Amino acid sequence: MSEGAEISQSNPLRMGLSTRAVPQPCALVIFGATGDLTHRKLIPALYNLAAAGELPPAVTVIGFARRPKKDDEFRDDLAQTTKQFSRQPVRDEIWKTFAQSLFYHQSEFDDEKGYQSLRKRLEQVDKERGTRGNRLFYFAAAPEQFEPILKNLKAAGLNKAAEGGGWARVIIEKPFGRDLASARELNRVVRDAFSEDQTYRIDHFLGKETAQNILVLRFANAIFEPIWNARYIDHVQITAAETLGVEARAGYYETAGALRDMVQNHMLQLLCLVAMEPPTDLGADSIRDEKVKVVRSLRRYAPQQVGTYVVRGQYTAGAVSGKPVVGYREEEKVNPNSETETYVALRMLVDNWRWSDVPIYVRVGKRLPKSATEISVHFKRAPMVLFNRDSTALDQNVLVIRIQPDEGISLRMMAKIPGTSLRIEPVKMDFHYGTSFGKASPEAYERLLLDAMSGDPTLFARRDEVEEAWAFIDPIEHAWSQKENAPPLSFYPAGSWGPEEADELLANDGRTWRRL
Amino acid sequence: MPAETYSVGLPVEIGQIDRELKKLWAEGEGAMTRASHINLAVYSEEPGSLARNTEILSQITENHACRAIVIGADSSTKQDRVEAWISAHCHISGSGAKRICSEQISFLLEGASVKLLPSIVFSQLDSDLPLYLWWQSDFAQPMDSQLWAWIDRLIYDSQTWRDFDGQMQLVETAQREAKQRIVLCDLNWTRLVHFRLAFAQFFDHPASHHHFDEIENGSVVFGRGYRSTAILFVGWLAARLGWEISQALTSERLDLKNRAGKSLRIDLQEKEGPAISSFMAQSGGLEFCVNIASCGDLLEVCRGARGENHTHQLLPSGESDPVALVTEELMRGGPHQVYLSAIEKVRSLL
Repeated sequence: MSEGAEISQSNPLRMGLSTRAVPQPCALVIFGATGDLTHRKLIPALYNLAAAGELPPAVTVIGFARRPKKDDEFRDDLAQTTKQFSRQPVRDEIWKTFAQSLFYHQSEFDDEKGYQSLRKRLEQVDKERGTRGNRLFYFAAAPEQFEPILKNLKAAGLNKAAEGGGWARVIIEKPFGRDLASARELNRVVRDAFSEDQTYRIDHFLGKETAQNILVLRFANAIFEPIWNARYIDHVQITAAETLGVEARAGYYETAGALRDMVQNHMLQLLCLVAMEPPTDLGADSIRDEKVKVVRSLRRYAPQQVGTYVVRGQYTAGAVSGKPVVGYREEEKVNPNSETETYVALRMLVDNWRWSDVPIYVRVGKRLPKSATEISVHFKRAPMVLFNRDSTALDQNVLVIRIQPDEGISLRMMAKIPGTSLRIEPVKMDFHYGTSFGKASPEAYERLLLDAMSGDPTLFARRDEVEEAWAFIDPIEHAWSQKENAPPLSFYPAGSWGPEEADELLANDGRTWRRL
Repeated sequence: MPAETYSVGLPVEIGQIDRELKKLWAEGEGAMTRASHINLAVYSEEPGSLARNTEILSQITENHACRAIVIGADSSTKQDRVEAWISAHCHISGSGAKRICSEQISFLLEGASVKLLPSIVFSQLDSDLPLYLWWQSDFAQPMDSQLWAWIDRLIYDSQTWRDFDGQMQLVETAQREAKQRIVLCDLNWTRLVHFRLAFAQFFDHPASHHHFDEIENGSVVFGRGYRSTAILFVGWLAARLGWEISQALTSERLDLKNRAGKSLRIDLQEKEGPAISSFMAQSGGLEFCVNIASCGDLLEVCRGARGENHTHQLLPSGESDPVALVTEELMRGGPHQVYLSAIEKVRSLL
């Protein structure tokens, strides 16, 4: 049980009121406080939590960044952007109170003095606002800044609980390295300052309501688990399609590509939730133990297999939603000869009893015809008797879990078309979150920030998960980077569903991508 | 196509309800989705309740798609009569892409037909979905065991009861006799959710728990007609903190003893305004306050030394109208052990 849960349960007045661990008062220090993430996601998420009464009043935010700025300027900037990006309208009365908990601390990331003064400021906040020595450090800065920040936090003694109690935790944004070696190095640097149980690696996909619902669907319903295996499942498809190009992220994207940007983290997390065994309990480590077993069971590609089972593509000029768009190589800040993949499709196998020989196809891509993230589980066809006797085989039953947008679950099944003749067609049973539950889901960052404050790491990636994921990805990147015999980069026009080679990947197995 | 309206809708023959509902949907145009995740039956004996409850349900269905069964009953008329109507409440979904519709079946029961209530409710249930019954009148003896046996959640508002103990005994008897567990949902208790949350958050850290045994006095300010709400609030504190009522000296003052046998006092003050507008507790030199903020729809909480300016924080206060209360109740779910233990503490005072 998490520390937060213990605290929640020890307050007799909370009984029957809270079903989740109660966050503890703390000082949240955001490194990179003037950046996009802080303005678009973090502060709007914190404001929404405050407006919903889910944030302890004493929670205090200290923005740490290089630019000189006064507290009031910082608050004014955040007021503007929160109004723009908050999922709920901003109420002046609530913002006014909430803004009093926002402070700015100007320092270079590698300036030791800046951390000494931060420490003093935190001690002052503990006294004045009752944060009780609890500190949560959020790394929203560029990855190359992580090391100096961690070293300086440690040097200032901020990596440990403050005198007189409290805790110190660190939230790290992806990318968690760019290969196994750098991930290990990053983990080493983090571990040098913070222990694993103080470290929260955020993957916002895990904070999405529908991602959390995968475990509920699988393990709270008796009908799915008995058929959730190689005996009944033909294959699984996981798709993350975006209409957007690289936008303002070209600089980062050029060095990352779709495989590192999406597959190593988000896609593998979704795959784990679909493929994992039931955990012994809902404890953070029980769930993460099962997830890491899945990644460990992924069949690694030999160098010569990468070209067969992995397709990489890059978009060329085309049109999305009727608007002409330029090709990737024509995007601003992109090398005109770039070999960076904006699309990747993989055929993966999980080598364990449950998933033996069940292919899991994963595809992610930019500039595709529509934006959608979903998982589809394709069941084996009914036996070739009775209604299946004719040469026309019936469609498969397909269970679709829509992660975004239009979150929900649908099941395709066969039904007789009314009439005197026997005609069978697929029909769809559809559950939409938005239809059954009018209440809007909280943003992923709201849930994840609250969990970190409550000491619940369930929805954060553990060190071994990250490293195992890189161990799977590295051979692919390695094969692609070979000067000779590297699998070719395919091209697809923007607005199409990816390169033809990706279709062939499934066609070779007698399958097709699901039409989204 | 179904119109968004507060009228009870199209009159239909009782035996033709299913057919007429199908027709209603068949006539629908465009992207319209029928949705339902509960059966919500609403029973009232108030004249004009059908139209009023139709309006309430049109708002509740924005957040909780359901099969609504609205019943207006008048057993005083000499003539036996049953009339039925069907209608739909449609709302644009959050994404704006769909019209999400909940269907409503309304009944007017007069004279001896009121006794047909269970058979009417049962014949109109959306199968496999739980049945929530919102009972807006006083419960009468004898309780119909056939009806209670099917209910999953019974919603009522004890604030409107004149004889709390008598009504509660009827509910408890029905609950005992029902073959399945009925969860009791008292809207008077739901009214207190945000006040309870606001007060509870002062004590999330174990370091503050010593105050539980050090609270010396408190005061609750309640609105006209909401004395029972204030008493329930005290009952909650007493049940959770192990207090016992020593005596109710006057209707404005309760004397209690805490777990250590130490005396404490709670003053009750009636004042024009919301159900509960303020609660303040004193422990040692500290004050813990929860007040309705001046804007009226937020709670202002403060904690600090007596007589000093305290740090204020704003929290949601929730709303107290029936739509908001039922919506809140449907959102929360779960059994209400804490409610039952609070009732036990203050039953004699309600």
